[in-house]
Amino acid sequence: MIEIIKISKSFNSQKVLDDLDLNIDPGKITVIIGQSGGGKSVLLKHIIGLIRPDSGQIIIDGIDITNLNDKKLNEVRKKFGMLFQDAALFDSMTVGENVAFPLNEHKRLSRKEINKIVDDKLNLVGLENVTHKMPSELSGGMRKRAGLARAIALDPKIVLFDEPTTGLDPIMRESIDKLIVATQERTKATFVVISHDIESTFTIAHKVAMLYQGKIVAVGTPDEIRSSNNSFVRRFIKDLRD
Amino acid sequence: MIRFLEFAGRPLVFFVEECGRIMLLLLSTISWMFRPPFRIRVIFKQMEFVGVNSVIVVMITGAFTGMVLALQTYHGFRMFGGESLVGSTVALSMTRELGPVFTALMVTGRVGSAMAAELGTMKVTEQIDALNTMSVNPIQYLVMPRIIAAILMLPVLTIISDFVGIVGGYFVGVNLLKINSGIFIAKIIDIVDLEDIFNGLIKAAFFGLILSLIGCYKGISTIGGAEGVGRATTQSVVLSSVLIFISDYFLTAVMF
Amino acid sequence: MSNLSIEAKVGVFVVIGIIILGYMSMRLGKLGFKMDKGYEVKVYFDSASGLEEDVSVEIAGVEVGRVSKVLLEDGKALVILRIDSNVKLRKDVKASIGTRGILGDKYVVLVQGSSAAPLIEPGGRIVSTTTATDLDSLMNVLGEVAKNISTLTRSFANVMGGEKGEASLRSIVDSMQAVAETLNRTVQENNEELVKIIANLSEFSATINEISSKINKGEGSIGKLINEEDTVEKLNGTLASLKEITEKINRGEGSIGKLLNDEETVETLNSTLTSINDYMQKQESFRTYLDYRGEYLFDSNDVKSYLSLRIQPREDKYYLLQVVDDPGGVESVTDITTTTNGVTTTEHIEKKEKNEIKFSAQIAKRYYDLGLRGGIFESTGGFAFDYYLLKDRLTLSMEAFDFDSDSNAHLKFKADFTPFKHLYITSGFDDFISDEGNESFFIGAGINFLDEDITTILSDLPFYK
Repeated sequence: MIEIIKISKSFNSQKVLDDLDLNIDPGKITVIIGQSGGGKSVLLKHIIGLIRPDSGQIIIDGIDITNLNDKKLNEVRKKFGMLFQDAALFDSMTVGENVAFPLNEHKRLSRKEINKIVDDKLNLVGLENVTHKMPSELSGGMRKRAGLARAIALDPKIVLFDEPTTGLDPIMRESIDKLIVATQERTKATFVVISHDIESTFTIAHKVAMLYQGKIVAVGTPDEIRSSNNSFVRRFIKDLRD
Repeated sequence: MIRFLEFAGRPLVFFVEECGRIMLLLLSTISWMFRPPFRIRVIFKQMEFVGVNSVIVVMITGAFTGMVLALQTYHGFRMFGGESLVGSTVALSMTRELGPVFTALMVTGRVGSAMAAELGTMKVTEQIDALNTMSVNPIQYLVMPRIIAAILMLPVLTIISDFVGIVGGYFVGVNLLKINSGIFIAKIIDIVDLEDIFNGLIKAAFFGLILSLIGCYKGISTIGGAEGVGRATTQSVVLSSVLIFISDYFLTAVMF
Repeated sequence: MSNLSIEAKVGVFVVIGIIILGYMSMRLGKLGFKMDKGYEVKVYFDSASGLEEDVSVEIAGVEVGRVSKVLLEDGKALVILRIDSNVKLRKDVKASIGTRGILGDKYVVLVQGSSAAPLIEPGGRIVSTTTATDLDSLMNVLGEVAKNISTLTRSFANVMGGEKGEASLRSIVDSMQAVAETLNRTVQENNEELVKIIANLSEFSATINEISSKINKGEGSIGKLINEEDTVEKLNGTLASLKEITEKINRGEGSIGKLLNDEETVETLNSTLTSINDYMQKQESFRTYLDYRGEYLFDSNDVKSYLSLRIQPREDKYYLLQVVDDPGGVESVTDITTTTNGVTTTEHIEKKEKNEIKFSAQIAKRYYDLGLRGGIFESTGGFAFDYYLLKDRLTLSMEAFDFDSDSNAHLKFKADFTPFKHLYITSGFDDFISDEGNESFFIGAGINFLDEDITTILSDLPFYK
């Protein structure tokens, strides 16, 4: 489904990704963990084509997106939904308008149909009576939920999460984790989450990939990773816990 | 020596790069202008923001500019008995220069800075990336409507400013300084050409392009959080204002 | 106001702007409802120096119209006046160029003629003009000369009345002939003066009737005079010297003679005027433009270049010859047959040429702001419409060509804007209904030169000197 083949990327001669390879299984939650500033966001932005690699290929459903022009890239992107770190809701629109935005852009639907989808998606992420509120009136957790509702509005096959639990209190973190798992079960979409939160990772992941110094150093199920005897992996987990 | 050249050259290279990036933004804006979807509603929204909402401040500026101009030129012209020329001086200055330039400066302060701040905020909170991930081109969705709105609205604001300025000049000249109203108007009609007004409006459209392009450019190239947004806003106002004055000179040289 | 929709607010705002613009435009009087009203009349001036288009035409200080055009025709200034339709001009209206203000702005002054004269039709001509020029004062002098001659002929007629003058008559007639020749020439050059002379003559013949009857009766001093031989001789002498003068004039001696008789001068003057005339007319209409334009095609990242020569014999017509360097190129199919050792192989080569050179040759005609073009477009047949705006600084064009190929016709829309002389920018859509994926938005720039600019530039180059 998503194949990342030997991609490298440098910013100002500093290598952020270094010949990185990763296969992401369809219909599963894959969590990429790594330290803050370790290139996780950069990797995620590569997958959706926001950043182009210096070398290497990213293949989405058999299409190499690294050299596509804008028009074709936009077609590929319609398969994606993405939840940004601070939800990236449009400040100038209400929550309802935010969720309706991708529908208005890409679907020819009546206002009534759109409103119905918006309500469905907001219910799915556990939000009620916020349709006419502005994003600034919501708490951080609610914004994330609204952002997720927007990300899944077009029923994408792939949903990307950029640090979904960062900046939330422990209770909220737990509820977001539950939401991610529940949403994935309902939508059966491929979820790619990047995180530095080791607890959440073990809660939600079907598969964990460790990113260290521009490379994926270990891939496995949460249990495999947890019970790994590899000293490097153990230290890595310990570092993240601290 | 080499170090000195490097020292002197770096800002120059930066400046050239900056110009290049602004031009590239302009080019891609133009190319996106002709591709569907045409977001008429978004453009109208920006037109309201740039045009309708700026009208009060532009009218106040225009009126007082015309009034002070009448007051100042009256004292000058009276020395050789040329009071009758006050009206045409006010009208000519307003239509050719002060109307377009002051309108552009006011709109830069009000709208150009807002564009930089709004797009800057969207940039640092990843809203622009979000647009991209939803297959919506940010240039088409954010930049193009702002630039079109500014190009269309600046001339309208300018003609209002011209008119209000002349009316303000008339008020001061005729009601306060007791210049004969017939002569005041006759001299305006005599000396001011339609071309003066139109050239002023063409200037205004150019200024609209400058202030919106700079505002959007500074906005979408913002880095560094809230502080970066503040920096972008300030820079956009300063750069737009300077460019407006510079381009005003060249436009005047070409047109008149 | 806040419950209005955004569109309504913007609409109201724009309408207010347009109303203000319209109001100011009308007050400034250069545009608006006044335009195209009224009727045109022609008037020829010997010199329209300083007369600009759109200055006022006045009768008794009241504006009755505007100068709509100042042209050159047969070495004279043809000034076309647009007169308000409620002002009727008589055939004998007089036109002159007046000067106003310290800056000496010129305007046209009309002096209405008698109310009995017929009206000038729209498109008609004002015949009578007064301009204070050298030629005019020369005419005045000639008029005086003619008057003097008429006085002389009066004396001559007196001589005819007597029988004793018979002998001198032959020589008088000789002199007369010479005078008449000069007179003839003068008269031919000025019909108006002839009328005056005839008037004088008829007056004179009336007098002569009266006098001759008196002479016949032997009355008065003249009657007595002509009987004295002495007088006749004196008169003869006078006439002889007059003859001498006119002969001198005829031979081209003296300054007036030279001016009037020197064939060479006249010819030189004539040919000078003709060549100036030709030159000016050429300047007015016949033009050749050399033009280069490059269009950057966004979708293929290529530049399409055009080099064209535009020959414009008339203002509303031109021929266009163009070489096009098209990066898209054309598809070509070639069969290469080779025979090696008795075996014949045929290669079927299909290639998409890059950088194909194409040619265009078009003829264009213009009707007001709309232009039509037809002919060869990029080596295929086609046609195009051009719409000219903003005093021709903005041109919108739609071209259609390449109808015969299997694919869709090639349609191209472009807008050319000329902000500065010689330089223009262009933008549009090339091949926008292409079914081969050739459609592309483009933006570009061009440079064009008039033939005389090229000459100027070439002659300014150092190696040319």
